[in-house]
Amino acid sequence: MPKTVLVVDDSPTMRQMVAFTLSSAGYQVVEAGNGKEAVGKVNGGTKPDLVVTDLNMPEMDGISLIKEIRKMPALKFTPILMLTTEASDDKKKAGQAAGATGWIVKPFNPEQMMAVIKKVLPA
Amino acid sequence: MAEQDSANKELNHQMGISTDGSQFLTFQLGEELYGVDILRVQEIKGYTAVTRIPNTPPHIKGVLNLRGTIVPIVELRTKFGMPTIEYTMFTVIVVVVVKEKIMGLVVDAVSDVLDIDKKDIQPAPQFGAQVDVSFLNGIGKAGDKLVALLDMDRLLTDGDMTESERIAA
Amino acid sequence: MSTDLSHFKDAFFEESQEHLTTIEEGLLQLEQRPGDIDLLNRIFRGAHSIKGNSGMFGFTAVSQFTHKMESVLDQLRSSQMVVTVEVTDLLLQSLDCLKALIDCAKSGEAPNDELVSALGARLEACQNGATPTKTVAVTAAPVPSHATQEHHYTITWGPPQYLFQRGLDPAQFIKELGELGRVKIASLDTSRLPGLKELDPEQCYLGWTLEVETVKELKVIEAVFDFVRDDSTLTIVDRPTSGAPASAMSDGPKPLGEILVESGIVSQSELNQALSQQKRVGEILVEQKAATLEQISEALKKQSDNAPAKKAETPSIRVDTVKIDRLINLVGELVITQSMLSDLGSRFEMSQLPVLLERVAQLERNTREIQERVMGIRMVPIGNAFSRFPRLVRDLSGKAGKKIHLILSGEETELDKTVIESIGDPLTHLVRNSADHGLETPAERLAAGKPEQGIIRLNAFHEGGNICITVEDDGRGLNREKILAKGVKQGLIAESDKLSDEQIWMLIFKPGFSTADKVTDVSGRGVGMDVVKRNIEGLGGTVSIKTTAGKGTTFTLKLPLTLAIIEGMTVRVGKDTYIVPLLSILESIQPKREMIKTIVGKGELVNVRGIYLPLMRLYDVFRLEPELSDPTKAILLILETEGERVAVMVDEILGQQQVVIKSMEQNFRKIEGVAGATILGDGTVGFILDVRGLLNISRNGTAQAA
Repeated sequence: MPKTVLVVDDSPTMRQMVAFTLSSAGYQVVEAGNGKEAVGKVNGGTKPDLVVTDLNMPEMDGISLIKEIRKMPALKFTPILMLTTEASDDKKKAGQAAGATGWIVKPFNPEQMMAVIKKVLPA
Repeated sequence: MAEQDSANKELNHQMGISTDGSQFLTFQLGEELYGVDILRVQEIKGYTAVTRIPNTPPHIKGVLNLRGTIVPIVELRTKFGMPTIEYTMFTVIVVVVVKEKIMGLVVDAVSDVLDIDKKDIQPAPQFGAQVDVSFLNGIGKAGDKLVALLDMDRLLTDGDMTESERIAA
Repeated sequence: MSTDLSHFKDAFFEESQEHLTTIEEGLLQLEQRPGDIDLLNRIFRGAHSIKGNSGMFGFTAVSQFTHKMESVLDQLRSSQMVVTVEVTDLLLQSLDCLKALIDCAKSGEAPNDELVSALGARLEACQNGATPTKTVAVTAAPVPSHATQEHHYTITWGPPQYLFQRGLDPAQFIKELGELGRVKIASLDTSRLPGLKELDPEQCYLGWTLEVETVKELKVIEAVFDFVRDDSTLTIVDRPTSGAPASAMSDGPKPLGEILVESGIVSQSELNQALSQQKRVGEILVEQKAATLEQISEALKKQSDNAPAKKAETPSIRVDTVKIDRLINLVGELVITQSMLSDLGSRFEMSQLPVLLERVAQLERNTREIQERVMGIRMVPIGNAFSRFPRLVRDLSGKAGKKIHLILSGEETELDKTVIESIGDPLTHLVRNSADHGLETPAERLAAGKPEQGIIRLNAFHEGGNICITVEDDGRGLNREKILAKGVKQGLIAESDKLSDEQIWMLIFKPGFSTADKVTDVSGRGVGMDVVKRNIEGLGGTVSIKTTAGKGTTFTLKLPLTLAIIEGMTVRVGKDTYIVPLLSILESIQPKREMIKTIVGKGELVNVRGIYLPLMRLYDVFRLEPELSDPTKAILLILETEGERVAVMVDEILGQQQVVIKSMEQNFRKIEGVAGATILGDGTVGFILDVRGLLNISRNGTAQAA
């Protein structure tokens, strides 16, 4: 069974790139355009093995999404990676406080992203 | 004969022939054999019912859906003033491309593709043919057959086929 | 893994255009609603996405510049700064600059560095409290390699208790280390384990001491613990096995920062912060006056000149997901039909022929609908073409010293993408024209008893197989005398010519014609209106003018829907099927005998609730053979176009369907009374009626061809 990754980003380009990289690496990808959509997908039966989310999004931002996910019993221990352009630590701290596993700093190349994903998602 | 040569030259120029010969798709209209430059022919298809276009002359049979493109169909018999006949299983539509426009010609039956040498193409005589010679580029000879070679550009621009013609007329 | 992301570049450019539009529209609205935090967030997100995405593709200039805009926006968002005209102006100018930068990134051309740095400086200056500029570090310095050095690390790690709650697993860390070298668990630290009663199975109480033998740098080992370092107790001791002096670092003198951190003077994050503030060489040189801005720009330009050559643009289209979803559903249906057919084919008997035919018919329906929907993908709302006007009008009002209120409507009207792309320029010209010539100055308006603020209204709607776009102003209207005088002067008309108003108005579309008293920056240069007309006619459309002195002028562009899809009613006359655009149908009736009157010279009329409408027998107009010639047995469709009504008689109404309009002109010519052709359900061609054209025929007699 391929692992499922839920990719959440309001930028379709970013979403497509992340999804493309992941599916090329053999993961199954579910996409969502913002936190609300992501929660909807999870409630709709998607059980991701990993969540990759942007922070700045309309409707529901990344931090709120992370908090929501951590509230779900099924996803309590699921790794969550945040995509961030912020070089500052505040965003990372806020994300971790909300329950994020780690982060991927934009810009990244596919290799860098996969390296981080391998860190948190057992093969 | 210098006159003859220059006429031939002019003819070849019109037809875009640079080599000594050319291939023609020939087809039957009544007893006569007509030819169109093979390069102009896009395809040949069996006759299927067309949709009549309101307020157009009788030789314009209508339009056809050719894989999503609307293609006008001209009945050559009517166009050339020949009596109409019942369509048979040999009746076909020769789809030609003229000046980037596609049109279909209803003919009685298709015959061969013939090579006709440049020197075997003569200007059309002023009379004798059933057809108004202004639609012809000349008469070609292939073996013992005589082929009336159609001037496609003329055919397209004449007789209500395009806007420019209507305005000019 | 070598995944190439460059083919997402087109998507990036496409998406960036949307963000640029969002930002622009947002900035323009912001002036009216400076406190709207949602709006600010939206603008911010647009800039933020461009910044993030452009970095991904290495468009450093774009991401750096956007970062500066973003910083200002962030301050606006957090109320550290207030929205003023100056800030908006600066942001709008920066937006133009950003657009140019993105265009340059697309084409590979060198951007206008001077403008970029000037605006960049202004953006930075604009920020309150003189926050230091952070440059987004996009390229990391290459790590020097000391590949052959074998290290022996001893790692003592006490993970944070929350480890599991963040989706982390200690085993994963050990595994990752295992990928870097040979790992041995030296000891397990259970000292933090509480008594069984206090034990929370969701907490991590264990700690480890690990021995790792590897050729990797210390940094690489540290990176394994990136996500937990702040809350872990972690020590890594390096003992190079080759017998070199023990050091936590690789060879060479330690960088200053490293020493400062180790000696506890600054923290690692403080150091990182300081490092991230390091300026680029160029900036430093300029500050030190070692080089001028121009020299640096020149050098940077040289650098970027070596960038890859201009890439041809592949046009792409963004499609409403609803349309895609419908298509996917249809493909689903197609697949089902196909599998039913192959199932049937595998065990076919002649008795099942009706079933086969039915399924083939279904296949045809599926295919046809998919074809239509795919065509529909090209249809985009005209709002895309309208979106540039709020900004344009704002700039024009500023330049011309006029107050202009722009009203947009009908933005949802769909038309073919290529048409939308081609009408942008003509529309812009008309709007400019209205702003410059049409509308009066505030003083003139007040003197004329009008509100100070003039109105320009853009509207789009479908009509009679066409798309109409109107550009309307409530200005002074066209000046008949002035145009006439100018026409005579330019030799376009003779003084003795008797011209109708319409003919006079059309003079302004003549090449070289301009009545503007003074040539302005905006228009009145004597070029343009003729180009507008030519462009619209090139699209197979027309331009018309309605004007009233002192009240205003309306330009109406009428464009054919060459590829457009319309809702149509299919009707039958004899054996022929025609499609009537649903929008033009008011109602259909079956008249009673007494409703129909024949008036000499006017033909037949039908009384519909007290109003007499001309009755047009479609079979007469089109010379068809009808099944019914008695109006009381047939159906009358009451159609309306441009305010005129007519009753068109047909044999029968067959149904309603969406049809794809296909051009008759492509391979043939225009047919009076026919707006276009379409492919009907059975694959044959049907004609779409053009109500306007029908009225013309009935008025002028049948347009019989020679």
